[in-house]
Amino acid sequence: MSGGFAQYLPPLLRGTELTLMLVAVSGVVGTVLGLVFGMARIGPLAPLRWVAAVYINFLRGQPVLIILLFIYFALPLLFPAATFNRGVTAIVALSVYAGAYMAEIFRGSIEAVPKGQEEAAEALGMGYLLKFRYVILPQAMKVAVPPAIGFLISLVKASALVSVIGFIELTKAGRIISTINEEPLQTFLIVAVLYFIVSYPISLLGRWYERRLA
Amino acid sequence: MTFYFGDILPYLPLLLQALWVSIYVTLIGFAVGSVAGVLISLARSSRARILRTAAGGYIEIFRNTPLLVQLYLIFFGLGQVGINLDPLWSAVLGLTLNNAAYTAEIFRAGFESVPSGLREAGSALGMSSVQTFRYVVLKPAVRNVLPSLTNQLIVLFLFSSVGSVISLNELTSVLSDINSQTQRTLEVFTYGAVLYYLTSVVIAMSSRVAEKTLFRW
Repeated sequence: MSGGFAQYLPPLLRGTELTLMLVAVSGVVGTVLGLVFGMARIGPLAPLRWVAAVYINFLRGQPVLIILLFIYFALPLLFPAATFNRGVTAIVALSVYAGAYMAEIFRGSIEAVPKGQEEAAEALGMGYLLKFRYVILPQAMKVAVPPAIGFLISLVKASALVSVIGFIELTKAGRIISTINEEPLQTFLIVAVLYFIVSYPISLLGRWYERRLA
Repeated sequence: MTFYFGDILPYLPLLLQALWVSIYVTLIGFAVGSVAGVLISLARSSRARILRTAAGGYIEIFRNTPLLVQLYLIFFGLGQVGINLDPLWSAVLGLTLNNAAYTAEIFRAGFESVPSGLREAGSALGMSSVQTFRYVVLKPAVRNVLPSLTNQLIVLFLFSSVGSVISLNELTSVLSDINSQTQRTLEVFTYGAVLYYLTSVVIAMSSRVAEKTLFRW
């Protein structure tokens, strides 16, 4: 172990940065997708309900790897315009994955808002959008935060899978380094510690929020 | 763009065999991991501080690092210290350890959901704490968390696809092989997606049947 691991730390930290970037972007896009599909899933329009149900149920039955490989290899054959480089593929795949799970989280929290709230808003003459924006959503969001934080941790861990298509984030950086220094045990232990440093504060945040809510 | 699923048909037995490998590693990982999960959740609420800390540490470490990194550590890392596991047993070990951490939290919630009156009733009948746990607490606790356990089983099955990265010949890995042989990319991944989807639907349905038959009283 000459030279120690110090020389490998900068590329691993760069990988951590890219992992954070992936999680942040796909977390935001996934949340928006989740909100749209979650609302459509229980909305007043039947065709939208069906589309949302198919999206949510089918994707929740797929491994992240299959979603990723499908978007990377198969999607460009269906729509030549949908040919993405590795980074964009990674973000699209993680967003689509996050969207399906977030939609279920939003659906659950919207349904957790007591029916009387909706009726009260209607009694006040509010339309669908107004009612949603000012009465249902603020209350639903409060309920959605703990499971959403839980899913964010899953997303951090799922982002490791984009290493499979060769995008060099934390796991791929560790894999490359482990083949150079031939010390996979130490290298992946450091990688695991870096993931832990990213993920554990999020778990603590979730627990803190839940305790505050209770 | 034309769909032609015929080219893949000769590969169907191979795909089903690969699906069986996925199911096989998932089931072993889930069964052994869940037993470990019960023990860890008991340690987590034990009176001995050292057990509590160890169990808590185990749960946090495995829940806050990716399964892929855990598999790399087992498959490549353990090899460095002379423990060489083949892809199958690396995947089984990884899924087992991973599942234990998740089910430990699920079971803890389950045990907390059983009213303390039941426990007291058990000891009032002269049962030891082990007997109370086994005959009074365990069954209602498991029934209360059956939906979470089912979810965990489905997630574990979907994540068994990560085994492909350490060259375990499960469904995802075989799909990639067939893809490079036939170049029928769209069709190959459609078959794969359908197989994963159907299997997770079957798991969800079996759980509902189990709830109605195994947990009736």
